[in-house]
Amino acid sequence: MSRRLLHALPALALVLSAGAAAAPAAPDVVLGASIQLTGPVANTGRYYRDAYQIAVDRINAAGGVKIGGTAHRLALKIYDNQSDVNLSVRQYTQLVTQDKVNLLLGPFASNFALADSAVSEKYKVPMVQGGGASDQIFSRKFKYIFGTLAPASNYFGSTVEMLKALKPPPASVALLYADDSFDVSVAQGTRPLLKAAGLRVAMDERYSTNATDFNSLLSQIKSKRIDAVLVAGHETEILNFVRQAKSLAVAPNMYSFTVGVPSEDFRKALGADADYAFGMTAWLPSAALKDRWFGDAEQFAQAYQAKYGYEPDYHAASGVADVEALVQAMESAGSLDPQKVRDALAKTRFDSLYGPIAFNAHGQIDLPQVVIQIQGDKLAEVYGAKGFITRPKYPMPAWNAR
Amino acid sequence: MNLLAQILVNGILLGGLYAVMAQGLALVWGVLNIVNLAHGAFIMLGAYASWYLYTDLGVDPFLGLPVTAAALFVLGYALQRGLLNLIVRAPMFNTLLITFGLEVVLTYLAQLAFSADFRAINPPYAGNSYALGPVTLPMARLAAFGVALALTLGMWLFLLHSRLGRAIRATAQNLVAARLYGVEPRHLYAVTFGLGLALAGAAGGLYGTVSQINPYIGATLTAKCFAISIIGGLDNPLGVMVGGLFLGIIESLTTLYVGPTFADVASFGILVLVLFLRPSGLLGRAA
Amino acid sequence: MKAGRAILALAAVAALAGVPWYGSDVLVQFGINTLLLAVLAQGWNVIGGYTGYASFGNSVFYGLGSYGVAIAMVQWELPFAVGLAFGVALAVAFALLLGLPVLRLRGHYFAIATLALAQVMTAIVSNIALAGQNIGLVLPPLNNDPLFYELSLGLLVLATLTVAWLTRSKFGFGLIAIRENEEGAAVMGVNTTLYKVAAFALSGAFSALAGGIHAYWITFLDPESAFDIGLNVKMIIMAVFGGAGTILGPVVGAFSLSAISELLSSEVTSAAGLFFGAVIVAAVVLMPRGLTDLLRRYRKSGWRYFIENIRAHKL
Repeated sequence: MSRRLLHALPALALVLSAGAAAAPAAPDVVLGASIQLTGPVANTGRYYRDAYQIAVDRINAAGGVKIGGTAHRLALKIYDNQSDVNLSVRQYTQLVTQDKVNLLLGPFASNFALADSAVSEKYKVPMVQGGGASDQIFSRKFKYIFGTLAPASNYFGSTVEMLKALKPPPASVALLYADDSFDVSVAQGTRPLLKAAGLRVAMDERYSTNATDFNSLLSQIKSKRIDAVLVAGHETEILNFVRQAKSLAVAPNMYSFTVGVPSEDFRKALGADADYAFGMTAWLPSAALKDRWFGDAEQFAQAYQAKYGYEPDYHAASGVADVEALVQAMESAGSLDPQKVRDALAKTRFDSLYGPIAFNAHGQIDLPQVVIQIQGDKLAEVYGAKGFITRPKYPMPAWNAR
Repeated sequence: MNLLAQILVNGILLGGLYAVMAQGLALVWGVLNIVNLAHGAFIMLGAYASWYLYTDLGVDPFLGLPVTAAALFVLGYALQRGLLNLIVRAPMFNTLLITFGLEVVLTYLAQLAFSADFRAINPPYAGNSYALGPVTLPMARLAAFGVALALTLGMWLFLLHSRLGRAIRATAQNLVAARLYGVEPRHLYAVTFGLGLALAGAAGGLYGTVSQINPYIGATLTAKCFAISIIGGLDNPLGVMVGGLFLGIIESLTTLYVGPTFADVASFGILVLVLFLRPSGLLGRAA
Repeated sequence: MKAGRAILALAAVAALAGVPWYGSDVLVQFGINTLLLAVLAQGWNVIGGYTGYASFGNSVFYGLGSYGVAIAMVQWELPFAVGLAFGVALAVAFALLLGLPVLRLRGHYFAIATLALAQVMTAIVSNIALAGQNIGLVLPPLNNDPLFYELSLGLLVLATLTVAWLTRSKFGFGLIAIRENEEGAAVMGVNTTLYKVAAFALSGAFSALAGGIHAYWITFLDPESAFDIGLNVKMIIMAVFGGAGTILGPVVGAFSLSAISELLSSEVTSAAGLFFGAVIVAAVVLMPRGLTDLLRRYRKSGWRYFIENIRAHKL
């Protein structure tokens, strides 16, 4: 027995000394999120997972987050909510109560952010989300939710300005919107803008989310000879809308969509049929947007494309901004205490690849949208804060005249 | 253009497609007394099969329909023979439960195999349209409608005049008597279910040319097919066609006169009314 | 014998009631979910297990209960208890108004009709401004899981006691008679319409209470999640898996299936759905009369129990 112990001693000593030599590493800062990785909205959900990951990797490579003199690595804990809002609420609850993550990152889509922010408010853990633009999320006086998507109510702001400036301006406008939180918000905000611009709203229709059949609405647009069509919906609906417009030979002078146009897979899915479509984006990969970790937005887009094989759009940029906002807040607060980080977030002000980050009193960012148009195989910036940038292709010709 | 005429045409074309989606469900329900809650999931599989045929092998979606239908027939035969035959004599709602379970499994496997991305079958002629006086007819929908009519007529003739069709109807009426006539029920049940799924597969191929497909379309499609089958009556493929047209027109008119978000209220509201007042459907024999 | 059973039951309830004190936060959350599912299964048991009318419309009652609480608390700023009462009132009204025509249908037509009603309700509610249309409503947050847990446990005890009372009351015998032979029951003087509607309303009341508690706990609801047919199927599966038409069957079914599902979803998140589907398929084929029946007969027949089931039901 004693001989065996004797043989074991050197090994034991080695182990003990190894333990003593290694300095205790600072604990990881864990950011938790429940994202739509499967399910009907997974197509856009993955932008967030990829964005969070690339941001965390890049920040860790640069030394991590420095809190009160100690550098901490960032870690991600991501759950797949299968595009089910109820599941996402349970998963956020689990992230806070069981996994005990430090801070929260948001899901995609306003209806998710709306429900999940109730969890962050309940447990008083700050959540920065870049996927929900609906004004409803920020109208409940919650203190722990912050958002990096420009307000839904102003999505068509610059588009309406542009319509006013067109020669001649459209004689009639149709406003179509899905009945989910984001699109209802968009419509509510767009109506007064159209009225103030003196444009006549000839059609104002709410349709069911995930609708597949737009034939009736398109027939009405054709019959009323509507000049400009504004559609607030999600990607599949817009794809169906454009395809059915073609098959019914409906070609208004212009149409603009709240989603899809900035995204590569949307343009690929429609091919040549995507031409002439207007959209908007609060972000373009321009070298003018400087960033502490990525250099600038252009370099970020290249890095993202190289790593994931597809172009980032504003969803991805927004996701990265969320991570950066949390890191800046932790450093400025010098602490991981949720309350202190929350207060630091409220006062945050910095430039990033997504643009200037600052949250208003309700927790929402305010960024202007730039009107973009698909012109041939290019995505052109058409109208911004200072007026026309490139000439828009207007009016849109009939489908058989393209 | 004439708006009302266009809306009616839209409704009719939509209705034809609805009808072919529901044919398989009505057949299996009326004959085998199997209420297939997974029916929509099989339509989804048919759509994906057509998509792969078109994208990977360049087969035109309409020409590829027989292949899709055949593939789903085999699947249906195997499923009935291997699984569903085991619970045929159990209380009715066991089939509801088991097919619901199948729906969950199929959707999950589809999402695993095909990812959640949306796809569409977009042959070059899909965006074309014909102008016919005051209305515009989208080409893809018109073709789908044509196929729907052909399939409905084919089913009706088959059930009425062919030996196999009559054997199937005999089995539905009276299992014991059918046995006495030398009909092998297990095989016949499997053939019927296979036929039902073949129809679903063909419907899926058609659906893929007019709409986006993803693994989750099954549930909504099943609900629609239910409404159509009940409204039209389970006994007769022509009844299902009438049910489909009826629903398509009602939905289009509701969208025009009430609002797009009320289309479902109309369709399911009518379903409830039909169930309360005349459960055998508009064309079915009185119960 | 009877006293022994009662003491056992009380001990079990006491043990369950103590979970918020000795269990982790996650266990309490799991507990709330499971207890509410058990209530739903038990509620369904009344109309499906004892009366023999397989309802796919209990999700309507659940939804009405949820919306009752949500509308009362968000739109009218009333307290939770009033909201619960409002939800139950809505459910009972629905059961009375629509129960009459719907319960005239038999077999699968009844099931389909209740399914259709669930679809109609989703469509209607998504157009009602008071209910927040398709966006739904967000309730005021209340961070008090132990309270919800005890409420759910209390509701389950109430539901189970009600079912136990059923088994020895005239009402309950009437229901069973309807299940076994409705014409015969009518001939024997049972007022089948009254009994059926009463069972439907009772079933609905429990579902509504469960819905109300869930809505406040989760602080959010929308038409799709409130009237979710998948939930209805879940409660049926749990009731059937445990043993429909028995007092403890639905409770056993709910607890066991929830536990297994939870275990799987923490390991492999999306496979939980697949597991659920597979269990449904297997259970319907192999043990259609549920766990309680399995446990009773297994001792006698062993593995042959499953084969007997298949042989009894196959073509």
